[in-house]
Amino acid sequence: MTFRIVRRRIGQAALLREVRDPAAGAIVTFLGTTRNENAGRRVVRLEYEAFARMAVREMQALAAEAKRRWPLRKVAMVHRIGVVPVRQASVGIAVSAGHRAEAFAACHWLIDRLKEIVPIWKKERFRGGEIWIGLQQGSPPPRRER
Amino acid sequence: MRVRLRFFGSLRERLGISSEATVAERAAVKAVWAAVVADHPEVAAVPVRFAVNGEYVKPGHRLHDGDEMACFPPVSGGR
Repeated sequence: MTFRIVRRRIGQAALLREVRDPAAGAIVTFLGTTRNENAGRRVVRLEYEAFARMAVREMQALAAEAKRRWPLRKVAMVHRIGVVPVRQASVGIAVSAGHRAEAFAACHWLIDRLKEIVPIWKKERFRGGEIWIGLQQGSPPPRRER
Repeated sequence: MRVRLRFFGSLRERLGISSEATVAERAAVKAVWAAVVADHPEVAAVPVRFAVNGEYVKPGHRLHDGDEMACFPPVSGGR
């Protein structure tokens, strides 16, 4: 099991290695990547910050809860902080299980819960301004590129 | 008693990373936040969640001397 906040690129191969298991018949991985547009804005990059020690503990608690809900083998969760350019991954989750149904279900549940409760914040820099995501106030109005 | 306040995301940009506060004995988290808002009305509209010593708490949670109270704006989102 590995749960980390990192400042460097998230490697899918390393994530996979963490969850390989002889009793696993399925491995599901999820990568959340910086998309080049959001709500009509031309996104240049995202910047993440975390309350790191609490974020790691919350990820551990989510994985423990996932293991109570589904018969899983291993779980790995990594979140990157700092600048994450377009195309690169900000978050990676890997789940191994005996069979694919529980691996898919647990991975989906883990990323949804991570977004709800793990203390990590995202600032979007777009052409013409910046905005804290989740807090659409006190920030410049979205601009559409023509 | 003294507590340490920590701010993240948009709150950190407006209030700084952290500060020390002198608060009443067994003050509730929400009372401490109300005092912050009184000094910084620009953050009044932020929907905030709290953690004390690294654990999420309800706004009525009562603080002890030396506690670290973290104030969180909404977390990162996406769908």
